[in-house]
Amino acid sequence: MQRHDATSGLPRAPELPRPGLGSLRVLAWILVLGLIYAYGWRVTEINLVELATKWSLARPLLVDLLRPDLVARVPRIQLADAGVGLEGTPPPAPEVRRPAGQVTVTPANAAIGQPVTVSGSGFAPNRPVELIWKDQAGSEAAVGRLTTDAQGAFQTTLRVPDVIGTSNHVIARVTLEGTVLAPSNALRLTFFRMIETVFLALMGTTMAVVFAVPLSFLAAKNLMSRSALSLGVYFVMRTVFNIARSIEPLIMATVFAVWVGIGPFAGVLALGVHSIASLAKLYSEQIESIDPGPIEAITATGASMLQVVRYAVVPQIVPPFIAFTIYRWDINVRMSTVIGFVGGGGLGFLLIQYINLLQWRQAATAVWAITLVVAAMDYLSARVREKVV
Amino acid sequence: MRGAAVRIEHLTKIYPDGTRALHDITLNVAPGEFLVIIGLSGSGKSTLMRCINRLIEPTSGKVFVDDVEITALPPEGLRRARRQIGMIFQQFNLVKRASVLTNVLSGRLGYLPPAWALWGYFPRELREEAVRHLQTVGIPEKAHTRADQLSGGQQQRVGIARALMQDPKLILADEPVASLDPATSHSVLKYIEDLNRREGITVLCSLHFLSLARRYGTRVVALKAGQIVFDGLPREIDEHRFKEIYGEEAVEVEIA
Repeated sequence: MQRHDATSGLPRAPELPRPGLGSLRVLAWILVLGLIYAYGWRVTEINLVELATKWSLARPLLVDLLRPDLVARVPRIQLADAGVGLEGTPPPAPEVRRPAGQVTVTPANAAIGQPVTVSGSGFAPNRPVELIWKDQAGSEAAVGRLTTDAQGAFQTTLRVPDVIGTSNHVIARVTLEGTVLAPSNALRLTFFRMIETVFLALMGTTMAVVFAVPLSFLAAKNLMSRSALSLGVYFVMRTVFNIARSIEPLIMATVFAVWVGIGPFAGVLALGVHSIASLAKLYSEQIESIDPGPIEAITATGASMLQVVRYAVVPQIVPPFIAFTIYRWDINVRMSTVIGFVGGGGLGFLLIQYINLLQWRQAATAVWAITLVVAAMDYLSARVREKVV
Repeated sequence: MRGAAVRIEHLTKIYPDGTRALHDITLNVAPGEFLVIIGLSGSGKSTLMRCINRLIEPTSGKVFVDDVEITALPPEGLRRARRQIGMIFQQFNLVKRASVLTNVLSGRLGYLPPAWALWGYFPRELREEAVRHLQTVGIPEKAHTRADQLSGGQQQRVGIARALMQDPKLILADEPVASLDPATSHSVLKYIEDLNRREGITVLCSLHFLSLARRYGTRVVALKAGQIVFDGLPREIDEHRFKEIYGEEAVEVEIA
């Protein structure tokens, strides 16, 4: 007869989950998630009504963004000039290439305040003329307005203005009928800033490469795990890179803009410092993943250490290094836009100025240029990477 | 005879983690022999090969190649000695992104002034010689192909051409066909056999398949747990010997 519990010596069967409890837990989770999203909705001030009803406010802006300022109608003009020497200096030769007419100043040698006669011929008849005095420093001042006669000539007397330097020019600017299409001011500025942006990214990337290549070897575990000291260096390098990468380039650009002044150089430094860390990390991971086989094989042929590096290590790391560098350049072109917002030069600097002046069509020019450059860089870097690796 | 003699005396290798890979190996290889080394994975075949050209430093013992004590050489002397010892690897160990020709030429690096090689300069005669070696292994048309574009068998033939570029007296082949299919295995081993027969180059070759060992070896050495358990002619390995080498449960697999 068995008195004690027969099951006490056996392992207990695992407890089955009770059906009610499981669904209660799911319910609790749903409640928590609901609370999280309710708070998120409030804290980010989501307002769908405003989104639906006030779209018309953004309309002029969006329309302008679709109509970038690319070309402008500018008046057709005729130009010609004559040199004037002051204080005994002989008059300089005319500056305008392919002058439309002829301008003479008599006397060609004068002094400040002295009257001179300016006459011109060979211009379009009956059109307004603007006379401009350009001094040696290159600053221009309007000194007279008149109209050409039926033969396309004009003559006037004016006093030599109070200017700097002794080599001066008098420029005649005749405005013709009608206008011509020319690249707008915004387009021209954008073009030069675009070039600046690409070079800004190039210089920043190059600066990063110069530092990242040697440093990446110190951050490669397979090379640095030989002694406690080198392992220490490895951990220090990794930590430094991780910290440097976590600092927003925007912050760096702000600091450098204060340090070296607003302009592309600040952008180069900001992108450069940020890229050192990210390139060194990519490089060092590449070094860590090299195949030791070729190293062994080249060593076995009796090659020297340097030859082993040249023939077994370099071919394994250089193509990926090039690929990463071009990819980084591509990223830096994109980043340089934002860098420009805080004074790092390039297209971003121009864009933020247009935005602040509410010149949306001009801003649109810059935005389209950025899109173009980024797309081109993206395509190029993809092609090069395809070729190299 | 062009081949080198190899003498190994009381060679022992203990790895830092305490693994005893080789235990008191003594072995003589005559010039011109095709010595096949067999044994299970981890029996010490690769370690033995690498101790001969000191890719792995032995813990104790001596290795002589043609009366030069390899184990006593200073770094520069070792480098010179390695020039005459070609090595062929299971994973081919080619520089994958470089051309076949560059891979073959790299076999000659030990003989060249360092500056030449750093600029990637190889004289015309050397490039012609490299193409000749590629002809020997039957792939002269692949000279300008990137190494990683080749099939496994072709890559191993480039490996052989690279070893030939060294003008070797001894070839160490560490499981040269373990990554290849049976038909390719035979073609690769035939090239090595050819060098051994025609040029008299001494060959030390580790193999997995006994059938290949019987077919190509002039002598077979079996390793088990870092010790030599058999040393004799290929045909002497019978069922009993086989079980001694590979363990009681092993069954011989034939390779066509």
